[in-house]
Amino acid sequence: MTNQNISNDEFKEIHSLMGMLQNLDVGLVVLDREYNIQLWNNFMESHSGMNPYEVRNQNLFSVFPEINQVWFTHKAECVFQLNTRAFTTWEQRPYLFKFKNYRPITGSAEFMYQNTTIIPLDSATGQVERIGIIVYDVTDVAVNKLELKAINSKFKQLSRVDKLTGLYNRGYWEECLISEFKRAKRTEQPCSLVMFDIDHFKTVNDKYGHPAGDVAIKFVSDALVNTIRETDIAGRYGGEEFAAILINSTAEQAAVFAERLREYVEQSILEYQGIKFNFTISLGVAEVASGTQSHNEWLDTTDHALYYAKEHGRNQVHIATKQKN
Amino acid sequence: MAISVLICDDSGFARKQMARALPDNWDVEVSFACNGEEAIQAISEGKGEVVFLDLTMPVMDGIQTLTYIREHDLNAMVIVVSGDIQPEAQTQVSQLGALDFIQKPISKEKSAEVLKRFGLL
Amino acid sequence: MNKHIVSITEDQRDCYQEIANVAMGQAAALLAKLLEVKVILPIPVVNLIEVNELRMALSGIENSDKVSGVCQGFIGNKISGEALLIFNDASLSDIAKLLKYSNELDTSLDLELLMDVANILIGACLRGIGSQLDVNFSQGHPVVLGQHVNLSELISTNNYRWSKTLAIEINYKIEGYDINCDLLLLFAEDAIEVLNNKVNYLLED
Repeated sequence: MTNQNISNDEFKEIHSLMGMLQNLDVGLVVLDREYNIQLWNNFMESHSGMNPYEVRNQNLFSVFPEINQVWFTHKAECVFQLNTRAFTTWEQRPYLFKFKNYRPITGSAEFMYQNTTIIPLDSATGQVERIGIIVYDVTDVAVNKLELKAINSKFKQLSRVDKLTGLYNRGYWEECLISEFKRAKRTEQPCSLVMFDIDHFKTVNDKYGHPAGDVAIKFVSDALVNTIRETDIAGRYGGEEFAAILINSTAEQAAVFAERLREYVEQSILEYQGIKFNFTISLGVAEVASGTQSHNEWLDTTDHALYYAKEHGRNQVHIATKQKN
Repeated sequence: MAISVLICDDSGFARKQMARALPDNWDVEVSFACNGEEAIQAISEGKGEVVFLDLTMPVMDGIQTLTYIREHDLNAMVIVVSGDIQPEAQTQVSQLGALDFIQKPISKEKSAEVLKRFGLL
Repeated sequence: MNKHIVSITEDQRDCYQEIANVAMGQAAALLAKLLEVKVILPIPVVNLIEVNELRMALSGIENSDKVSGVCQGFIGNKISGEALLIFNDASLSDIAKLLKYSNELDTSLDLELLMDVANILIGACLRGIGSQLDVNFSQGHPVVLGQHVNLSELISTNNYRWSKTLAIEINYKIEGYDINCDLLLLFAEDAIEVLNNKVNYLLED
């Protein structure tokens, strides 16, 4: 192999031909097969503070140790070996070269977000001997997109949650139910559903007023959140009706959970504007059975169990009888 | 006597391209087939001493066709003309007895070169 | 804008299909080399569709699947369009194995995989089509359309300036792996006439 490094004269010549390219507001870098820097334009010089003569024939990774070598060579080797372009976006890694934001005062980003294009060079023989890197400053686009994404995810979160209790609302909870039902069917892991409501809630409202009713609802939902595990999914199903999906739990395990919740509510005394009151809840439990056809069927079975608990004296847990296949 | 040449490709455009790429001075009788089934029919009627065969085709693809020709010992010299240029495809067709493998798009130069190499021109 | 109806004849459609066939073969050969696998080549599907029917053009992907995709614009000789590469999320862990990324799959790694495959397939396909039609395509920077979303969320742009598009769908599969990806090349309405002229030239006797 002949000397791949270009002589000083050639280097100067290339740079004088670059008059136009020098003033482009994009970074241009040429690397040889060993990742030594062969060309370095004005943009690169300004942002890195290193002039072309300083970096010439220096290895990219020793000049910029912050570049993830494994990642970058993975991309660059594709270009060398397959003679094809490669693109990287700021979404993969915010930057290749850690430069400061062009607008240090009014810009909200600390550093410059970059897109890069890696192009094969000198491929007349079919062998790619050098690659060119084009570095684009995409800070504004990236910042806007990130902000938009943050707002959207906040909206999404808001649209999923019930305002009073902070539990998932019925719409989103049902979406979760559908996907958990499918998952339980697919993985054949046990999964149980608990539904419950406040006994004689109308009486609570009539006797102590609606704000007291809200206190009761908030109390039950807090108790629910404190009783379930992090992976379980709790929702406010209706006015005074709640539901929880207990992942990886059999009906018996779910009933233990339900009983604990029932007991806790029964023993608690609430206070609203100096008036003390208490109440109880009734709960229905059903596990996904191999014969359960749909999430609606699962929901109905649980609802029937809850109805049974109500019919048979309230303040109790009823487990739906297991379905036969 | 003219050699019977069969061009088998599901694409009409590809068949035309192939026919155009045949050497001008070659004394041949050209027939066409749209898939492997038609090709086998034509070969058994003696219309395919030399076959230019595509690989990706509906009904019966090139690999299936080559396998059939081999198993039934049909009299055909098959040159595969394919867009699938993965090394594995090339090995597979040569194992199945194809004379050569030409990468699409075909040109006059390439077809002449291959035909000369096998003494067909 | 000219209002006359764009259409393609059966011969033209066949010609596009064959051109795509050759181009995707070249792209597949590169992918096979990079991943050291055998790529199973489909027959490309060419259709002239309304842009709002885009979902129907993605026949290789189920509507209910979670998908990730990137999109890249291209232009050359007045022929402009976009390339979409869409992955079924179920494919991601197998691709990670092939690309020899060892870390656990996190969101940024998914993106690496998507971009690596997009770089190869889109670039090579455009080069293959360009060389057959004698067009040199410039590619814009790829844009991430979405990750782990439904197909309808992925392509739910309503600001469509073209009403018709020439769509070429190539559904790549990899032998021995659960990898399913759809490459969709979409040509803008005003590019179709230019393309048709180019193709007519090829079809001439």
